[in-house]
Amino acid sequence: MEYSKNHRQIVEDLIGGKFILPTNKNFIELKEKEKFYEDFFKFSFGHDLIMRQDFAFLVSDETNEMLSRDVCIFFAILCYELDKDGRNFLDLINYSEFEYDQINDYFENSSYLEVVRNNSRLRDINTRNEFMDTLDRRNIIEKTGPQKFTFTTAHKNFTDFAMELAKSKTADVE
Amino acid sequence: MRIEPKTIIRFTLEYFDIIRDMFDAHVAEGLLKQEHVAEIFLKHNRNIEAQMLEYKLMRRIGNDFDLRSEYLNFLKFILEEFRPLLPEHIEKYNYSISELFRKIKDEIFGDKDVLDSRVKNISNEIREFVTAVEHNTISLLEQTRALKANLEKVDYREKVQRASFWIDYYILPLNRILDVTHNESVISKLYNISEFVNNKRLNFYDENIRQSFESLYFQLIQTNDDLLKQSRILTNELLPLIERIRTESTILSGFITFLRNPYKTQVPKMFKRKNNMVLSSNAALNAKAFMEQFAKDDTIYLEDLIDNNDKWIFDIDYFKGKLREQLPVNNFFDWAATTLEKEYTAIESDKLFALTTLLFEEDLQLEFDEKKKNKKIKTDEYTLKVPNITVSNYGIF
Repeated sequence: MEYSKNHRQIVEDLIGGKFILPTNKNFIELKEKEKFYEDFFKFSFGHDLIMRQDFAFLVSDETNEMLSRDVCIFFAILCYELDKDGRNFLDLINYSEFEYDQINDYFENSSYLEVVRNNSRLRDINTRNEFMDTLDRRNIIEKTGPQKFTFTTAHKNFTDFAMELAKSKTADVE
Repeated sequence: MRIEPKTIIRFTLEYFDIIRDMFDAHVAEGLLKQEHVAEIFLKHNRNIEAQMLEYKLMRRIGNDFDLRSEYLNFLKFILEEFRPLLPEHIEKYNYSISELFRKIKDEIFGDKDVLDSRVKNISNEIREFVTAVEHNTISLLEQTRALKANLEKVDYREKVQRASFWIDYYILPLNRILDVTHNESVISKLYNISEFVNNKRLNFYDENIRQSFESLYFQLIQTNDDLLKQSRILTNELLPLIERIRTESTILSGFITFLRNPYKTQVPKMFKRKNNMVLSSNAALNAKAFMEQFAKDDTIYLEDLIDNNDKWIFDIDYFKGKLREQLPVNNFFDWAATTLEKEYTAIESDKLFALTTLLFEEDLQLEFDEKKKNKKIKTDEYTLKVPNITVSNYGIF
């Protein structure tokens, strides 16, 4: 059986919890051999491979997985604060560069300060900076400098979640 | 008494701030309420009610007032403040233009004055249609941009509602009116008219009417350009902009719902990394070995091995019995060799060693004379040198 040239890198990245993005050459390889990798991860480790237009990542059935919740809280608060600031958050997340200080300002002055303080990853500057390093390792953000970053297309996993949640709530009301 | 146009223009210029406020109040309420007019005059410390009525720019309706539609339109035009018309309103031009065109075609050889008048009427209708479309696009674009900038601090839910409303009731129907691929759209009809008019401007028998057709034809060319421009604004700018507002507001609405109960809402799954990595430096080999079990190789059939040889089991009681029958035995190994030959026709090493264990039976007495020479016994595998051992019973048997 022939393995792709970057097989090891693909497996290491996905098992390491990274989002593989269309800007990465491995994404094309993964897309071309989607069925193979789906079976590979399912049979080998029991994980599901999720392939979307803008990213690919692995999903495990761990019920105590907390990072995803914290990422959702992070995006929710950031979007809310950017909007409150009169800014078009979707444009900013798609196209702008952020600085750690700017993010920290939004969180320190957030209307959801209670949620921030009660979250172990987001409660203060140090934990937030570590959290953003985690986002970088997972390819949810891409660092452009020691304290600067842009969001990758992986953010759509979380904005899509919000959209679905809003739609399901609307449907409930109707 | 007829008022000089310049007088009205001069008056408008001089009191423009007051007139602007009156215009805003009229647009907001649909008419000018007396108390609002009084407030405006008080604010500017000037009452222009008498001139407004005298110049016929305003009329009284009961206790309230109404800006005359011509003046209102003029103000809308110079202020570029148009309320978007519902597409049904614009669609009415579809009927009037179609009807005039049908009559022009049917009665092309009828009364020349009537024909000329119809050509000019259709020209007016087309002009009004284009103006209505332009005004709608301008007003929708301005309102959308304002919503995007959100200077009014509109609630995100209302943003979704407004964006959805504009899309569903104004933008998409307007887009359909301007859809060149749709046969019944106004713009498609204008193409047909243009084709007909182009023909007539070249070969209609009457010079004056030919010129009217000529004017209409060039107007239609310009109209086509204008409408295409409006269509491009709608599809390239307005629709994406308003869709983005709707998307953004929906996302925000979802996040706010989530933040109400962030620990009880089901979130998207993510991968939980293990500290003990599944991968090692031999990952590639391990993965290969793992995957190869799923590889489709040629089928191999393995037959069960059948061992036909009965495994020999040493029956100690049987051989002990045999030995007892012959006691005393002068040379144990001679006896063993002879017994095996009798029983199995050959002396096998394993069997000889098995019989040797009889020497350790407690009820047998052994004597070993060192002076006697060792004897040789040939088995199927070896030639063994064995001592001379005499076996007898303990006591009286």
